Amino acid sequence: VKFVDEFRDAELGRAVSTQILTELEPGRHYKVMEVCGGHTHSIYKYGIDDLLPENVELVHGPGCPVCVIPMGRVDDGIAVAHHDGVIFTCFGDMLRVPGSQYTLLQAKAQGADVRMVYSPLDALRIARENPEREVVFFAIGFETTAPSTALTLKRAKAEGIRNFSCICNHVTIVPPLRALLESPDLRLDGFIGPGHVCTVVGARPLEFIPADYGRPVVISGFEPLDILQSILMILRQLRAGECRVENQYTRVVPQEGNLRALEVMAEVFELRPHFEWRGLGFISQSALRLSSAYEDFDAERRFEIPNVRVADPKACQCGEVLKGVIKPWECKVFGTACTPEHAIGTCMVSPEGACAAYYNFGRYAHEREAV
Amino acid sequence: MRVLKTGGDFAECRDEAGVRHLVATDLVGPLGAGATVLVHAGVAIGQVAA
Repeated sequence: VKFVDEFRDAELGRAVSTQILTELEPGRHYKVMEVCGGHTHSIYKYGIDDLLPENVELVHGPGCPVCVIPMGRVDDGIAVAHHDGVIFTCFGDMLRVPGSQYTLLQAKAQGADVRMVYSPLDALRIARENPEREVVFFAIGFETTAPSTALTLKRAKAEGIRNFSCICNHVTIVPPLRALLESPDLRLDGFIGPGHVCTVVGARPLEFIPADYGRPVVISGFEPLDILQSILMILRQLRAGECRVENQYTRVVPQEGNLRALEVMAEVFELRPHFEWRGLGFISQSALRLSSAYEDFDAERRFEIPNVRVADPKACQCGEVLKGVIKPWECKVFGTACTPEHAIGTCMVSPEGACAAYYNFGRYAHEREAV
Repeated sequence: MRVLKTGGDFAECRDEAGVRHLVATDLVGPLGAGATVLVHAGVAIGQVAA
């Protein structure tokens, strides 16, 4: 497949891996954070960390959309799903995210009409087909999925569809990155930038990282060669004493982003003053809500919701995993009480979550290493 | 995904596994058959440059 096969060439991967060795300073330990959950998934799926020397450590960031949803927001969704006449729609991963009592999937088992959709446009179609029912879409994701929600709401408004609304949990990537860079817990040398977010927002929003914190960023694609080349580019910047935003993913990411998508998002959304992130707490201006022009589609206005903050289970260390402070296998319940089939924490639910990715692709290798 | 054919605000596309999808194309420029697009949640958000 074009744009796929050529970026999975094992020979080239080994060649880039060898080049990485030549860029290392003796005795230095490098910590590189991949921000996006898609990168985390690729790193474990293709064993990219096995191609890196021991002193180049990949740290997983807060870029999995499902992982950052706090339990209280899940409870809000479940409460709406239980309203009479509601058809509640969400992405498949979201069904298994634990709330304080149970998941949306368990709410469905109790009788709530909860349906998995691939796109918010599917939810809108369900609303068209069921004019006597209220259809609610539980929107999650970063700037990659926010355009699809915005476009859907724009179409709903243009068509005059009244029985459709949205619980907006869209988040933005820059505020949590700034919070991480301000954290004394973590010393990072560089960032693998989120290629798909940057397809929408462009490269400029990441320029604060080199400008304010002196760390290089390389916006990266998601195939194994993309990620290896991005690590090489970061190490080259570090060796040269430079720090700037570079774009490895030029085949997809335009410097200015997707202006049409940004325009639609600006019409439909506005920034929330603050939003709770799972494990990270409240972060100012880090999430989106519907703008006043679209408030009629806001399910948080249309339905009574609990809006109660719920603390994470004590055993769960998703917060530390999301901040890159601990590795998935260092969590007390990883692979024992918490597995993809019976997840306690969100990081074990989505394939993009660091714990699920590690569990599915890497834990046996790590156990061998530990032995 | 690879664009198979376009029509209105949608394109019929095929993913890496060969599965066909109907994708909204409002947010990307004019597309023709054979183009490759980046799709999130049923909406094309970018076009892959050759």
